[in-house]
Amino acid sequence: MFGQYSGFIIPSYLISAAVIAGLVVWTVLVYRNRRAEILELEKRGVKRRYQKEAE
Amino acid sequence: MQQMKAAPEIMSETSIKPASVWDYANPTRFLGLVDRILPAFVMLTIVSMAIGLWMAFSAPEDYQQGATVLIMFLHVPAAWLAMMVYTIMSVSALGTLVWRHPLADVSLRAAAPLGAAFTFLALITGSLWGKPMWGTWWVWDARLTSVLVLFIIYMGLIALSKAIEEPSVAARALAIITLVGFINIPIIKFSVDWWNTLHQPASVSRFDRPAMDVAFLYPLLVMALAYTLLFFTLHLMGMRNEILRRRIRSMKMQTARQAEGS
Repeated sequence: MFGQYSGFIIPSYLISAAVIAGLVVWTVLVYRNRRAEILELEKRGVKRRYQKEAE
Repeated sequence: MQQMKAAPEIMSETSIKPASVWDYANPTRFLGLVDRILPAFVMLTIVSMAIGLWMAFSAPEDYQQGATVLIMFLHVPAAWLAMMVYTIMSVSALGTLVWRHPLADVSLRAAAPLGAAFTFLALITGSLWGKPMWGTWWVWDARLTSVLVLFIIYMGLIALSKAIEEPSVAARALAIITLVGFINIPIIKFSVDWWNTLHQPASVSRFDRPAMDVAFLYPLLVMALAYTLLFFTLHLMGMRNEILRRRIRSMKMQTARQAEGS
């Protein structure tokens, strides 16, 4: 497709796509894990300062 | 990315209406802002990336570089972002040390892995572009070496952010070292003017008009916009993750204190 340069162009795009996809997936997974951890702590009765003050 | 939107159970307090931009120093209000603007950022990033890639693959081959000009549309935005992210981290470092803004350290920590990733991409795509054009994967010239130093600085800052447990000590240490490392940014920018390098001088950000045909300039600018939007999207998401990490830490400390008291 890109002639003699395909061995340079295709890896450039594949590596860029992989790094960007990796960043997105990692960020989303961290968010889901942390949100789940907070919900678990709240379920166990642990409250944040503002919640205590509201009571 | 759609899964990022909803977090009603733990974000219910985010509906507080702030009076000014400065009120977003409150992490809870900032989370509310992120929830509101993130979908728009995600959409803009996807659309601009799609348009940029379409324009890049529609551009003609360069008369000297042939099809390898396609690598430029990845390499140059990544290199710009590598420097821009570090500049944002340096402003955040000032926010920590001078204004003591509560979100400044959050911003710095969230930006560091993104800056490292963009720097890594600039180095890899530059190497893949250099081999067919220069005949070598790497040379120790001032531009390439200073960008490699930037990558090492990013990795060092990430390691430091995980090494110090006490948040206020970690924030100050990160801010000071980030500001010291900023000296590398003008060195990267002007290395091609100050020293004799294999890397070419600036083609776009010049005082006179860009030394590039519009057939390549427009796709490059759209790709740069897409990379910039991608950074801000991931930065907002990363800041949200960092705020949640601090909440978890605080809740766990409360549990430990209660356990000690009983």
